[in-house]
Amino acid sequence: MNEKKKLNIVLAGQANVGKSVIFNYLTGLHQHIGNWPGKTIEKAEGTLFYKGYTIDVVDLPGIYSLTTYSIEESISREYIASQKPDFAVNVVDAVHLERNLLFTLQLLELGRPTVLALNMINLLKERGIEINFKILEKILGVPVVPIAAIYRKGITDVLDRGIELLNFQSPTPQNRLKYGKEVEQAIEILVEALEGINTPYTKRWLALKLLERDGEIEKLIREKNSELLKNVENLRTQLEKIHGHDSSIVIADERCHLAFQIIKEVMKITPLKKISLQERFDAVTAHKIWGYFTMTAIMASMFLVIFKFGDWLSGLLEIIFANLQSWFETISGISVLASLFLAVLKSVLALIQIALPYILPFYLILFLLEDWGYLARVAFLMDNLMHKLGTHGKASIPLLLGFGCNVPACLSCRIMETERERFLTGILTVFVPCSAASVIIMGLVGKFVGMYWAFALYVFAILIIFVIGKLASKILPGEATELIMEMPDYKRPSLRTIILQTWFRLKEFIYIAGPLVIISGIIIEGIYWAGWFPFIDNLLSPISVKWLGLPAITGILLIFGILRKELILVMLSTTLGTANFAQVLSPIQMLTLAIVSMLYIPCIATIAALRKEFGWKKTLGVTVFKIFFAIAVAGSISKILSIFL
Amino acid sequence: MNQNNTNENKFFLTDMEENQEGIIISVLGGRMATKRLADLGLTPKTEIKVFKKAPFSGPVMIEVRGSKLIIGLGLASKILVKLK
Ligand SMILES: Nc1nc2c(ncn2[C@@H]2O[C@H](COP(=O)(O)OP(=O)(O)OP(=O)(O)O)[C@@H](O)[C@H]2O)c(=O)[nH]1
Ligand SMILES: [Mg+2]
Repeated sequence: MNEKKKLNIVLAGQANVGKSVIFNYLTGLHQHIGNWPGKTIEKAEGTLFYKGYTIDVVDLPGIYSLTTYSIEESISREYIASQKPDFAVNVVDAVHLERNLLFTLQLLELGRPTVLALNMINLLKERGIEINFKILEKILGVPVVPIAAIYRKGITDVLDRGIELLNFQSPTPQNRLKYGKEVEQAIEILVEALEGINTPYTKRWLALKLLERDGEIEKLIREKNSELLKNVENLRTQLEKIHGHDSSIVIADERCHLAFQIIKEVMKITPLKKISLQERFDAVTAHKIWGYFTMTAIMASMFLVIFKFGDWLSGLLEIIFANLQSWFETISGISVLASLFLAVLKSVLALIQIALPYILPFYLILFLLEDWGYLARVAFLMDNLMHKLGTHGKASIPLLLGFGCNVPACLSCRIMETERERFLTGILTVFVPCSAASVIIMGLVGKFVGMYWAFALYVFAILIIFVIGKLASKILPGEATELIMEMPDYKRPSLRTIILQTWFRLKEFIYIAGPLVIISGIIIEGIYWAGWFPFIDNLLSPISVKWLGLPAITGILLIFGILRKELILVMLSTTLGTANFAQVLSPIQMLTLAIVSMLYIPCIATIAALRKEFGWKKTLGVTVFKIFFAIAVAGSISKILSIFL
Repeated sequence: MNQNNTNENKFFLTDMEENQEGIIISVLGGRMATKRLADLGLTPKTEIKVFKKAPFSGPVMIEVRGSKLIIGLGLASKILVKLK
């Protein structure tokens, strides 16, 4: 092999087994990682150079089956079968090997060269599990490599074994795994009948999928030889008669049985003498009463920690930056360039001082909860309430992610099963105050009006989500599907993962928000010099001044806030020349401004995410609705508050 | 799958108490739901244990094949089990 050594490999497996951890390690990219199923929603590609090979790696969404019932499943199957990667890496959660094998068995039926990466072996000991890798390898007929992905152990062995597999030109693994007698007979008959029909799939796999009533494969065969389907139908009826279930269940059942047999041979579980800490957590956090209690406590303390930390850090930075600025002013003298530079410096410092102190702890805590496994517990606890909003418990995961940033939250709506539920959940997520909105809630209202007012704003936001959910589920009628979700075990959160993910978020924040404040600052400066302010103010003041009771300057800030919400507060401080907002805004104005900012429009990036997931029409609908809704709500509240305060 | 069979040992998953163990007899739901459950390893004759039940007709958290799953009430009420 002297030509360019290029390889194509694909990471496939059930959800939440560590595929993206491996992908990130191999490619240096940053796929979202967390402890709940369904984070990766689209296939991701990256490249790696290894031992003279250029390897293209593909990370697939986690799937439970290769029968096409969901979009992810057809994407993944299509990819593995027709793109013909040189080899597939089947990532498997060793702790939950039995359930994972159900997918492995199907993948092996596809007949592509495969390496089994047995992940999370670091957890086996504390669970009292022993796995005999050698026997597993023998039974499955493919290389089995134990790895611990988050500790970056064993991943290169997976590549080595894969490359070895290719270089020895070993024939595609002959699947020696056999199902029950009746099923094998049916397969045999079909394999014979399929002779001469050309598809990207192996005959055995086709036969199985036909017996499983896979719609896509049925269509494929109908085009080639429709006679054959009659034959298939007969065989199905026979199987159903013997087993008393639908033939697709018969096959699934056989697979479960096979997995169980394999487990019996390779896995030994010694019952633990004492209940593990994580198991105790599970008992409390999913408890009928304590579960809700801890959920409230976690949310409340999250608020408190973020607020206290943000308040402290922004106060500290204020002092440092004030010194820095005055020092710069004294040395720079007076020139156009210096004043321009000063303006830029001011806006960047304002961004760091006002936004960062709140955004940083937000992400740290969210990623901590996510990596620990708490999000899935909330899905369990909130299922009932979510049904009232026309969706089910899983929707609480995008909602929680929304507190960090609405963009990934919108994208993760794909974990919902139907189009309708996805959109409903999407609408709700854009009403969640993201960390940028929280900068305004905490940095303006919390700091200058009072912590309880800030807290009240969150409660208010949640109430609004409830009302909107009720309304939207009336407008988009239809039954919610039932919740089915695997519950990930709690894991000791990995500090490295949390810090890395937070770091990527912050980097994004700095790279995107940084230039934006600078540009917006320059534009506002420009508008000021051109003398357009009175014109713009006049245009917006019926809403901003008359109806909302805010200072005229906020009109234009709210327009810039569409880019990023924290800009509203940051630009306010740079245009006013002070971060002590109490000097320029009354408490009611601060509350009103916070409510408008929280509700008035999804930011540009969120709008783009909405469009990607739901199309222009729906996005426009949601956006326009939010604008009117925010103006109406904030104005009314400002009027009501002015009676009392 | 005859409903009128009043075998005292037949329950719906929703009727089971926390920490009770049982064996699945059949799933009465539609093809789609049955298939999704089967993909997660819930087929007839599977042993399960109810770990937690959420209040106010919330979902059921069960242990099956060494993993935990949550199943919404509507679906859980279509899963027929017998106690171990
Ligand atoms: N203890 C332990 N945890 C791991 C290991 N590998 C991955 N994890 C954790 O498993 C969880 C899931 O990892 P991901 O890489 O996001 O899983 P995925 O397979 O890409 O999941 P989806 O994209 O949702 O299908 C994360 O919380 C990881 O930190 C490991 O070797 N040991
Ligand atoms: Mg992933």
